[in-house]
Amino acid sequence: MARPRRLEKIAIANRGEVAVRIIRACQELGIETVLLHSSADKGTLAFRLADEAVCIGEPPSPVSYLNISANIQGALAAGADAIHPGFGFLSENAEFAEAVADAGLVFIGPTPANIRLFGDKISAKAHVEKSGGPIIPGYQGEDQDVGHLTKECARIGYPVICKAAAGGGGRGLKVIRDSHEAADLIRSAQREGQNAFGSSRVFLEKYFDRAKHIEVQIFGDVSGRVVALGERECSVQRRHQKIIEEALSPSLDEDLRAQVSFSARDLAERAGYRGAGTVEFLLQDGQFYFMEMNTRLQVEHPVTEMIMGVDLVKAQILTAMGQALPWPREFQARGHALECRLYAEDPFQGGIPSTGRLLATEWPHGPGRRFDVGFDPGDEITSYYDPMIAKVIVWDETRVRAIQKMKRVLAETIVFGVRTNIPLLQEILSHDEFVSGQMTTRFFETHFSKGLSAPEYSASEREWIQALSSRLADAGPAGIHAAADGPLPEANPWAHSWSSP
Amino acid sequence: MIPAGLKWLEMEFQGRIIRVPALKSQGRLWFHFRGETHVVELNQGSRRAADGRAKSHPGVTQAPMPGKVTRVAVKAGDSVSKGQVLVVMEAMKMEYTLAADVDGKVQDVHAREGQQVMLGEVLVKLAAATMSTGES
Repeated sequence: MARPRRLEKIAIANRGEVAVRIIRACQELGIETVLLHSSADKGTLAFRLADEAVCIGEPPSPVSYLNISANIQGALAAGADAIHPGFGFLSENAEFAEAVADAGLVFIGPTPANIRLFGDKISAKAHVEKSGGPIIPGYQGEDQDVGHLTKECARIGYPVICKAAAGGGGRGLKVIRDSHEAADLIRSAQREGQNAFGSSRVFLEKYFDRAKHIEVQIFGDVSGRVVALGERECSVQRRHQKIIEEALSPSLDEDLRAQVSFSARDLAERAGYRGAGTVEFLLQDGQFYFMEMNTRLQVEHPVTEMIMGVDLVKAQILTAMGQALPWPREFQARGHALECRLYAEDPFQGGIPSTGRLLATEWPHGPGRRFDVGFDPGDEITSYYDPMIAKVIVWDETRVRAIQKMKRVLAETIVFGVRTNIPLLQEILSHDEFVSGQMTTRFFETHFSKGLSAPEYSASEREWIQALSSRLADAGPAGIHAAADGPLPEANPWAHSWSSP
Repeated sequence: MIPAGLKWLEMEFQGRIIRVPALKSQGRLWFHFRGETHVVELNQGSRRAADGRAKSHPGVTQAPMPGKVTRVAVKAGDSVSKGQVLVVMEAMKMEYTLAADVDGKVQDVHAREGQQVMLGEVLVKLAAATMSTGES
């Protein structure tokens, strides 16, 4: 049990949107922050918001964000007394959690034993099986020879999914449809695992072709109690990377909901789980199967926060300080929340990354609209890291209204400088299968694998756009040049309003 | 340097005053109109920007984005068939497989494993088995 301990200064071992999220939570709690960043992220929004910043290495993540000792040295140098790992990078690395504790710092997250148990998907499955939870048929053996793995694929029966044992976030995941492509895809998963997580170990399991991705947010408080905060549905995924998430799921009845919440809470409680965690399940034909437990904050945590009225990041920090949470015994969901991940990519070119400098952004604020933004105009979106630049979250009384609101919000959202997936998100939000709530994890692959073709405009729309383009193109230099191009056409308007006499 | 931010250009259009957020930078015009962002290459005047992406020539495989070459699956002189993997790249932590777009023989391999490449950089050149004159 954690002893009460006041945290004065928290180091954030992450970047972008989640670093901003954590910094703001700390600031609201009156805690100082130190951003541990790579040289590529100097000057980005999180860098500017943090009270202090320590550069821990060069841009490639293995020498910065994944470097355990560099992160700990940075935190110690700044006099921090805790580290928040965010998600991705070192957030699910038990060695890191241990090294943080060994350095006399508090790791804001579960115990190293929790991370070790669930972080390795093989021991996680064994734990679930032992607890009587629902598991998926597969192969988790030691023999990692490609020939042997190919044989195991045949035994399980195609389609089979090959996963990096240490993986997460869609990396090192391959769906193998038949024996011809098995060896190539297994090697590819091993390489991605090696590159992203430093381990090429993979395991195999049966792939479900019409399943929904349902996950339960759980939280273990200082008293040892584990609560379930409802489920999220994240069936809209591309190459196993989530794109749109929502809470609650449109496809569970009260019975299934109670079942899956119980199962998630039970297996966390049996593990003595502390802090925020997410238990991921596949739902097919009214049956749940345990997929994995993520021992960290999840990218899509805001949808749970919106319907449950909680702040999960603050809850993590308070729990690390040994404080009780002001939460009810049972949670009751209110309304419906949706999250869209904004990726820097070109939806009309099959979703290839779009890198460059953000020139301008406009986030159309309003009731029930939340923007978790990682970067501001002037920040560089590089090819070193994940392409997510922001998350757009909406809340409304019903799912239908939440979808309507999201479409409106995305239409008003402006990002200049890099292409974004907004046109793709709009297509998804208007798709019958999504609107009906029937989508499965195959939804994206089935309807959008080819990406979007160039938008079709009517003759009159084309005329408008053409005319507007030429009018704007002709607008003189006093009009609309970005500062990056040279001298500012106009001084910053604030400079006028606030100049000292 | 922090850009000046979004500018709203007010203009009369079809008898109404409309306000259009727009920005010019590095030869491109960005504007937002009726819920969509448009990008125009100013010098070419095309409505959807070519994005500096070189046009595709049959048999020439170029990097579709900046990133790292993680695997080169062919060497000069190899015969390849359409769809065969030539190069594997990684960008933003995802793998991208670049496959042959024609049947042919590998003429040049410019990509090296571990190499960082720029958008549009030529990675592999094939001599097509039968020359097809693609549509322009």
